[in-house]
Amino acid sequence: MVNLTIDGKQVTVSKTATIYEAACEAGVHIPVLCYAKKLMPYGACRVCLVEVEQMKGRLIPACTTPVTEGMVVTSTSDEIVKVRKTVLEFLLVNHVVDCPVCDKGGECDLQDLTYEYEVVSNRFEGEKFDLPTDEVNPLIERNMNRCVLCGKCARVCDEIVGYGSYSFINRGFETKIATAFDRGLNCEFCGQCVSMCPVGAILPRPFKFKARPWQLKEIDSVCGYCGNGCTVTLGTKDNKVETIRFNDKTGVNDGNLCVRGRFGYSFINSEDRLTKPLIRENGSLVETSWDKALARVADGLKQSGSETGIVTGARLTNEELFLLRNVAKALGSENIDHSGGECYKGLTEGLQQTLGLQASTATFPQVENCDAILSIRSDFYETHPVFGMVVNQAVRRNDAKLTVIADKRGKFTKLPEAKTLLHKPGLEVNLINAMCRVLLDEGLAKTERLSGVDELKAALADYAPETVAETTGVSVDAIRTAARELAAAENAAILLAYGLPYTAASKELGIAAANLSLLTGIAGRTGSGLYVCGEKNNSQGAIDLAVMPGATGLGAQQMLSAAAQGQLKALYVVGEDMVSSYPDRKAVELALDKVPFLVVQDLFLSPTAQMADVVLPAASFAEKDGTFTNAERRIQRVRAAVPSPGDARTDFNILSDVLSAFGAQAPATAAEAFAQLTADTAAYQGISLDMLGAQGYVWGTDILTPITRNLVAVAGSKPLDAAHQLLVGSALYHSGTMSTHAKGPMAVVSEPYIEFGREDAKALNVAEGDLVKLSADGEIIEAKAKVDNRLPQGVLFAPYHFSALGLNKIYRGQPAIAVQVGK
Amino acid sequence: MTESAQQAQTEEIDLTAANAVIDKYQDMHGALMPVLQEIQEAYGYIPEETVHLTAERLNVYASQIYGVLTFYAQFHLEPRGKYIIRVCMGTACHVKGAGRIGDTIKERLGVGHAETTEDLLFTAEYVACIGACGMAPVIMVNDATYGSISVQKTDEVIQKYQELG
Repeated sequence: MVNLTIDGKQVTVSKTATIYEAACEAGVHIPVLCYAKKLMPYGACRVCLVEVEQMKGRLIPACTTPVTEGMVVTSTSDEIVKVRKTVLEFLLVNHVVDCPVCDKGGECDLQDLTYEYEVVSNRFEGEKFDLPTDEVNPLIERNMNRCVLCGKCARVCDEIVGYGSYSFINRGFETKIATAFDRGLNCEFCGQCVSMCPVGAILPRPFKFKARPWQLKEIDSVCGYCGNGCTVTLGTKDNKVETIRFNDKTGVNDGNLCVRGRFGYSFINSEDRLTKPLIRENGSLVETSWDKALARVADGLKQSGSETGIVTGARLTNEELFLLRNVAKALGSENIDHSGGECYKGLTEGLQQTLGLQASTATFPQVENCDAILSIRSDFYETHPVFGMVVNQAVRRNDAKLTVIADKRGKFTKLPEAKTLLHKPGLEVNLINAMCRVLLDEGLAKTERLSGVDELKAALADYAPETVAETTGVSVDAIRTAARELAAAENAAILLAYGLPYTAASKELGIAAANLSLLTGIAGRTGSGLYVCGEKNNSQGAIDLAVMPGATGLGAQQMLSAAAQGQLKALYVVGEDMVSSYPDRKAVELALDKVPFLVVQDLFLSPTAQMADVVLPAASFAEKDGTFTNAERRIQRVRAAVPSPGDARTDFNILSDVLSAFGAQAPATAAEAFAQLTADTAAYQGISLDMLGAQGYVWGTDILTPITRNLVAVAGSKPLDAAHQLLVGSALYHSGTMSTHAKGPMAVVSEPYIEFGREDAKALNVAEGDLVKLSADGEIIEAKAKVDNRLPQGVLFAPYHFSALGLNKIYRGQPAIAVQVGK
Repeated sequence: MTESAQQAQTEEIDLTAANAVIDKYQDMHGALMPVLQEIQEAYGYIPEETVHLTAERLNVYASQIYGVLTFYAQFHLEPRGKYIIRVCMGTACHVKGAGRIGDTIKERLGVGHAETTEDLLFTAEYVACIGACGMAPVIMVNDATYGSISVQKTDEVIQKYQELG
């Protein structure tokens, strides 16, 4: 620690602090433009200049100068004010000062400083910037005439996002921020640059001319897309969500968001939202009242009773999931499940059998300090982008060694020094087994306290690195190095994402990853962690609350087969578009067609809802109170920011009514439900709403200690023998099917596509935008081609979000689909 | 327009030479400058595709490379002529009528400062002093210097290189 004096105030700070950080601690205000807490010190703008007694003769930039013992700092003097004022005059020489029409007006750092330093005139003259604005993309507008060249956009895009869209170009007076070849922005559109810009140079386009900043009401909630659980601060005006506000004080994401979080909110305001209950009369769905719709639901479900199936997505709040489970109880049915019933088995069966846990063992922020990170699948960045940014920081700032086990390249594989074990599709388990084998063979495995070592050793006989290298196409050295690095690291992380498009071998993959985490000692070790992250915002909550079939109950897939065979009397689907997103669409459609009574509760008239007997209009995350549990077990508050459109109601209210219809007691409020569910859920016991502070509350503390340490032998797969294999997965811009109703993500990726590697595209004579057909098993899907350099030869990719593509006509849960390509 | 569509629009360039340059520097840290210099040597300028190739292979952002390319005057992003005519605009040459020499070139070849003829034969560049004030006004064509030049002599020089082709 270092002691120094700022404006006569004594302050003690860490020796790595800068004068600016020390001043913040002492409560002394020093103006800044180019400084941002999460970025490296830069010193571009020179408005933070201060006097330091020990460094007389010149002014010192507070934001880049480290503190030293006994330093005496003066933050304001006539000289300093004069210089800061001059700096502002310089900045205002070319700046267009078009504040009246600038969306930043009212919260612009330049405007505020100009006001604070009373820069009413300018001693210097120069031409005003007259640069064209970049309005090529629909999400981010860049107006370089307002830029102060602080470089924050370029730095955040490099340091945090790892995309590198921007750079300073030209020199001297001509210097400006631009993209490569000074073209329109074309990137991930995460909007981190928007949140960092201190002026109105980079703005969110959807928010343009929507509201003055001071007219906005801010409500902190949690993003309704992926399991990362980012805090989103909804900016609302006149009961409409108009924008997402920057907030780095609350939650786990440090103010970082992805395209979905920042621009995907617009599905809330979609005109396609269901606003009235619908009921099937004479074959077609007609609007009705809640009373009639609920009476019909109660009637139908009373008849089906224990032969009812309940299926949900993992997007509901914990409180709503709790009520849903109570509905099942009231019906006497154990047939309840979520998210297709397969993809989460890596957790519920895989980790359960090995670690005795059903959750990630550590929290996200720890990953920034890891020395080695293993990401299973490059798709992790696509499903959990903001966690991906933490990985990026670990690699860039702390030189973490990143290994990616992947069937295609992606953002992770491009990070500096990242090693990619690029394998043939479907062979992740083989590679992890080989890594386990290396650890055991080379005596690197930490086998004390583990059970099943000998059995695993025996089972791994077929997984010598040499053998696996041959099957997977990965080099022996790469497998060995990956295993050794992971074992040698003091702090290490294993990342695995799961979700509807990743149902193949989910249990096996969970076991393999857990084996590796046990042999390396990662599971349960402070600073290290095994992260098995759900695709949806409350995937972890659904598992914690056991929204899964009971001992004699049917899982989602079994319910579908039972329904198809006429053995299920009713199906109640809440917040899930099974037809669009579940593997094997035909089977789903057949089941929904056959089931005598189908209730669908959703935001939109999805293809699943279109088949229903009763459709109940539900509320989005922005319209309800409750809690979500993210993929690192962090329980966070969700808050209602706007009323629901029309007669739509929250799932909580709907489920309460259904419960009442059965004479069951329903908690009156979400808070009451939370109290009940925590009492009912072992891991949540003793947690009260008051304990969910600004950072939420992580159940089981930051490091979850494994309850058991069983190694379980698990078999890998064989490569698929087909010239062209299609991978199904998640695209960065989308999440589930919900984002296809949001203007933001749709503006970037508006339609389904089939992605080809350059070599394949050339060989097949396919160009970007060509309509291509893929056939498999007598089914044909058709979409535009996208040509990129991510995919190895013979491998194609398609995202699963778009119902219209009908991808699940050929996707039945396989790791890769053998396809014929045609035009 | 997507990135790949933008790339498709640019002319197809044989990347063998650029790949050979990058091969040489692949494992050297901070090798961007020599890579770009040698690519320019090989192609006469920096074609866009080589920027994307360098970005991918050296793991540097294309935007950063573009920043470097636009910062240094030595890099050229457009194809340049076989013959670079440098017209000295230094003080001595200016006094001795360098402006007229520049005008003559513009008249005969249709190119002003930093412009290249369509047949890619000539690029004109107006430069500050080239250090030959004794023989002002002076022009250079690649490495050859032509001093005490007049409008008529300029014509002759141009004609000579046009005939050389």
